[in-house]
Amino acid sequence: MKVLFLGRFAGGHAPRVLARLATTPETEILADETDTARLAPALAGADIVVGLTWRADFPPAPRLKLLQCIATGVDRMDLAAVPRGVAVCNTLGHETPIAEYVMMTMLNLTHGLFHSVLSFRAGSWEASLQGGGARHGELLGQTVGIVGYGGIGREVARRAAPFGVRLLAANRSPVGDAVPVERVYPLADLDRMLPECDVVVIACALAPETQGLIDARRIRLMKPGAFLINIARGQIVDEEALYAALRDGRLGGAAIDVWWRYPTPSEPQPRPSRFAFHELPNVLMTPHSSSFTEGTAERRFGDIATNIDRCVRGEGPINVVTIV
Amino acid sequence: MKVSFVGNFGGRPEVVKAVLGKVTEKFEPTVLFDIADGQRLIPALAEAEIVVSHIWKKDFPEAPRLKLLQSPAAGLDLIDLPSLPHGVTVCNVAGHEQAIAEYVLMTMLALSHRLVEIANGFRDRSSWAGGGAGGGPTHGEILGKTVGIIGYGRIGREVAKRAAAFGCTILAANRSPVADKGEASEIYPLGELDRMLPRCDVVVIAAALGGETRLLVDAGRLALMKPTAFLINIGRALIADEKALYDALRDGTIGGAALDVWWNYPSPAEPNVRPSNFPLHELPNVLMTPHCSSATDGARDRRLSGIAGNLDRFARGESLRNVVMTT
Repeated sequence: MKVLFLGRFAGGHAPRVLARLATTPETEILADETDTARLAPALAGADIVVGLTWRADFPPAPRLKLLQCIATGVDRMDLAAVPRGVAVCNTLGHETPIAEYVMMTMLNLTHGLFHSVLSFRAGSWEASLQGGGARHGELLGQTVGIVGYGGIGREVARRAAPFGVRLLAANRSPVGDAVPVERVYPLADLDRMLPECDVVVIACALAPETQGLIDARRIRLMKPGAFLINIARGQIVDEEALYAALRDGRLGGAAIDVWWRYPTPSEPQPRPSRFAFHELPNVLMTPHSSSFTEGTAERRFGDIATNIDRCVRGEGPINVVTIV
Repeated sequence: MKVSFVGNFGGRPEVVKAVLGKVTEKFEPTVLFDIADGQRLIPALAEAEIVVSHIWKKDFPEAPRLKLLQSPAAGLDLIDLPSLPHGVTVCNVAGHEQAIAEYVLMTMLALSHRLVEIANGFRDRSSWAGGGAGGGPTHGEILGKTVGIIGYGRIGREVAKRAAAFGCTILAANRSPVADKGEASEIYPLGELDRMLPRCDVVVIAAALGGETRLLVDAGRLALMKPTAFLINIGRALIADEKALYDALRDGTIGGAALDVWWNYPSPAEPNVRPSNFPLHELPNVLMTPHCSSATDGARDRRLSGIAGNLDRFARGESLRNVVMTT
């Protein structure tokens, strides 16, 4: 039984997964998946691949049983090109920090924290109560709409409820137990939810139904001054329409953790969008860092090691996304 | 009924206008913004049955008809209670506790997730550090962390309610015995604070300033905190020892702090005074805000409604809300 850690991300974290294994499979690390000379023999012998991507031009992997994604989103895996019968699994454990991030940025945008911190550090008391400065908002009494009521959406709702907010959600499939959310709209009725919300949180997977879901028309349906928080995938939102709405002040602000452009070996520090979001004062931008906590790493490496152990022992895997 | 709005809080024009807009009974208002204006302070206090002020000084002129001192703030530390006439009911206002609890959770999260550092690096230098693509150190979560609240009053309870939903363990220390623990798993008497501090990942100061709390968080108690712990102060600055706190933050004997209350406040002579006598603004692990945690539209409205409500109740002879004491 052989495990291949494929790509820079999986390769870099292989030691931490291996440290948690109960079984002792043969292992190989191939950090550069574009190295075709090494990729062909590595895939030919692999029973398990741990990685982030699977491309249509990958060489054959005749022994492959388990394709274990080292993240949650399998959108960089071309599932049609994965050999038949392979179990594609992901890892979770990121719901907690992402829900914390959503609450943190929702509070930051509402209270204008960055503005107070920056002006105060520079020596100005203008944001103070005694200074008679402009007041800021609070979450109490606001309406929060969650697009995609899955694991993350539920964790957000659980944390937001004691803040005294009204919670709405929109979901692709029907939701059984929605508490504490007051109402779950079918995704097709999203247009009825958006005008209600002071904060819209995008927490759905990237899929054909969600690609470009938040387009110029839907952004116009949002309340003037509303906040948008995206912790899912950049492509769910129309890049140009969001930039224009934020620049023109039609939206109050946004917290964006997921982007349209990511670093590559040739361009390690790209701007994350072709539009100048970094010049807009009402944008809180982070480098896909919401889930990058020690807790997530612990939970994920543990889950991946569990799946490798289960596969070695001939047991069925956990966190199955699909069997190809 | 004569009511005087006094000082740079109670006498602020927008406060006076909003309160008078909300009352239903008839009042004859006098407004005095600058308490240093002795010529006008004397008549303002001589006639008033109600004074709306967050401040009362020893050398204030006589107020023989005063029955209700209604503070527009929660803290009464600027009111010299012994120099008030006998038989005055002192009331404060509530309604800020939800906003301040939001601030506490916001800063607790921002310190744990290193939000300011990561967001500024990304905006200013296009640094992807702190995320999966850029690598670098991971940041923290508040799940499973222990939050210790000093002063388990209105604000402390609102903090506890919210933090519990994040999976935090809540401890509290309080001066007087607490009947209803709320979300707290343990309540320590304030005298046993030293046993609580070493357990906390986050310490929140939410106590009033008084004899027992002045300099409560001194060098010795800061040394009892975990080296990774965060201190959040939304109570009063004087509860913490200024130099000891600066040293602890500079030397990393505690992890960081979020401070909204200060040792120095602006005055007409020094409108841009630095809030501390130590350069806290140069430390990267300090999140500092200019006493604005409760400066929300909602808190303002709840407080002004509270003042107006008490004025009406007093005029109608009904029992008052938020009574702190009667002199």
